[in-house]
Amino acid sequence: MQGDAIVEAKDLKAYYITKAYGVERTVKAVDDISVSIKAGEVYGLAGESGCGKSTLLKVLLGDFQPPLTVVEGSVAYDFEGQTKDATKLSEQDKRDIRWNKVSYIPQGSMHVLNPVRRIQDTFHDFITTHKGTSKSQSYDMTRKYLRDLGLPEKVMRSYPHQLSGGMRQRVTIALATILWPKLIFADEPTTALDVVVQRGVIQLLKDIQQKEGSTVVLITHDLGVHANLADRIGVLYAGKLVEEAPTRTILKSPKHPYTQFLINSLPTFEERSAREGIPGRPPALDHPPSGCRFHPRCPMAIAKCSSIEPKMLELSPGHRAACHLLEEPNHAAA
Amino acid sequence: MKLLRTFILPRIVQYLIVIFVGITLTFLIPRLSPINPVDNALGRLTAFQTMSPEATVALRESLMDLYGLNGNLLQQYFSFWKRVVAFDLGPSFTVFPTPVTKLIGSSIGWTIGLLSLSIVIAWILGLILGTLAGFFPNSWWARTMENSLIVVYPIPYYIVAFVLLMLLTYYLPIFPLVGGSKGAPGFTWSYLSSLVYYGFLPALSLIIGGVAFRFIISKALTSTERSSDYVRFAEMAALPKHKILFSYLIRNTLLPQVTDLGLSLGLIFEGALITEAVYGYPGIGSLLLSAINSADYNVIMGITLLSIFGIATASLLVDLSYPLIDPRVRYS
Repeated sequence: MQGDAIVEAKDLKAYYITKAYGVERTVKAVDDISVSIKAGEVYGLAGESGCGKSTLLKVLLGDFQPPLTVVEGSVAYDFEGQTKDATKLSEQDKRDIRWNKVSYIPQGSMHVLNPVRRIQDTFHDFITTHKGTSKSQSYDMTRKYLRDLGLPEKVMRSYPHQLSGGMRQRVTIALATILWPKLIFADEPTTALDVVVQRGVIQLLKDIQQKEGSTVVLITHDLGVHANLADRIGVLYAGKLVEEAPTRTILKSPKHPYTQFLINSLPTFEERSAREGIPGRPPALDHPPSGCRFHPRCPMAIAKCSSIEPKMLELSPGHRAACHLLEEPNHAAA
Repeated sequence: MKLLRTFILPRIVQYLIVIFVGITLTFLIPRLSPINPVDNALGRLTAFQTMSPEATVALRESLMDLYGLNGNLLQQYFSFWKRVVAFDLGPSFTVFPTPVTKLIGSSIGWTIGLLSLSIVIAWILGLILGTLAGFFPNSWWARTMENSLIVVYPIPYYIVAFVLLMLLTYYLPIFPLVGGSKGAPGFTWSYLSSLVYYGFLPALSLIIGGVAFRFIISKALTSTERSSDYVRFAEMAALPKHKILFSYLIRNTLLPQVTDLGLSLGLIFEGALITEAVYGYPGIGSLLLSAINSADYNVIMGITLLSIFGIATASLLVDLSYPLIDPRVRYS
């Protein structure tokens, strides 16, 4: 484990293994991924729908049930020297770690607040589980925290249906971070919100992260959000990590053809031409393509792409990518 | 005040309209039927004895009056309302001249006791078992329970009732065959225990089906609610299981279940026709059955009015209690 990593996944393989009518089906949603997330950074995970982002998040959180199974590898948490394997958490571990140290912000479009409970009582449920506080103590903590985050105090006595979508998401973020966790996983926190509200939510996340210097693992398909928040970005394609670099580097000089497509498809202010999409569609993960999984869609594919799996190459400090074209500098895709 | 104006008042108005329409229909339907109750009654009376024409005419007159059939339809309608408001539903024909209200009054207690207890017991049992089975879907006891209740559920009620009756009163004579109690009514141990003893089988037959039905519904509701975002989120935050079960799951699955309970309690006033007939239980169901068999119109009418009133009142109460259990209704 690297010294300053707060969570590190090693050779992680997590498959959905289902068996129906005697036919076993394996979906390799996370296939041999190694990432190391440093304490205090914002790490962005990018990729199309169905590339394994959410599965990776579930495993990193240690919140998965069959059919999702960790086949190989480990996820290690490191909280000031105290280590834990996230794939083997007991119920007691979960109560100790979750919310106190590791927390989770769900998608903006989800209904994560109990519809028949006042916001303050939901806060109390979550706080008292981990801190054993009385109702009035929980209310005080909630009031103070909401004030710190600049959220109106009157939401406490509201029911979820009385809040707007953006406010609901902000309250959810407050609920997830009320105990100042060191490590926050955010799964598409701005999805389904309009752009103006999105900005508010991103700002809130930024504030929380900067106040306590917590680590944020941010998952979204929206590279704009990544550019705004993330220090480093990892790009997933079909269950594999294909490129990882500091945000500036990856946005300026992406090396993997898939990353290049992804970034070139973003609209820019200067250029008002039609954006080019990525040809083809993402592969089904029960029978992923052989070799490099991107080769069927890659216009630059060479012979060995379809047979040999490319290895992760360190291109410059902190910038790694897995592509055969990068092995021989004269073919470099940039 | 706003709640009263926007929520309570409209529902009370609706309640009154439902009762008005119901009573009007009860008035109209028998009058649209080609069978004339007076002719029917006269026919029965004169079938076994001959009467002088004068006596027949006099009898017809007084029967017309008793059944409220004098005058044109509008006059009949008004006098009908007058009698409904005064709780005077006329005399019963079969046990002439006992008033219908008295007949109903003496059997309603049995039905309310039997049905409300068995409906509430079945509701609570089914809800608890179904919710637990939905919360722990992989445990052996949940599966055993589900499999056996799913087998019981589709069996027609009258078969369950007859099988129980045959098994437990004939082959194994543990329980009495007919009746509602033994001994003189009063707050004595022997009378109260005989109430339980006589009511046990009819109640059991109702509870079995009721539990199976409620179990299946509760389990389905719980499984759906279990995978909802807010339950998953609470589980992710490692909230204690009992907290999730009571404040998150049951609190939400309860909403449709309370409606159901209210409406089935409203049905009490119709009586449990089959149960009471099979077990010879002296409630509204038995009264209705014998009234139908002997074309005792006033009694049928009385029970119909009672059930209109019961169902309308039950739905009103359910409606009015909803803001207490669902904040979304309270504020919209």
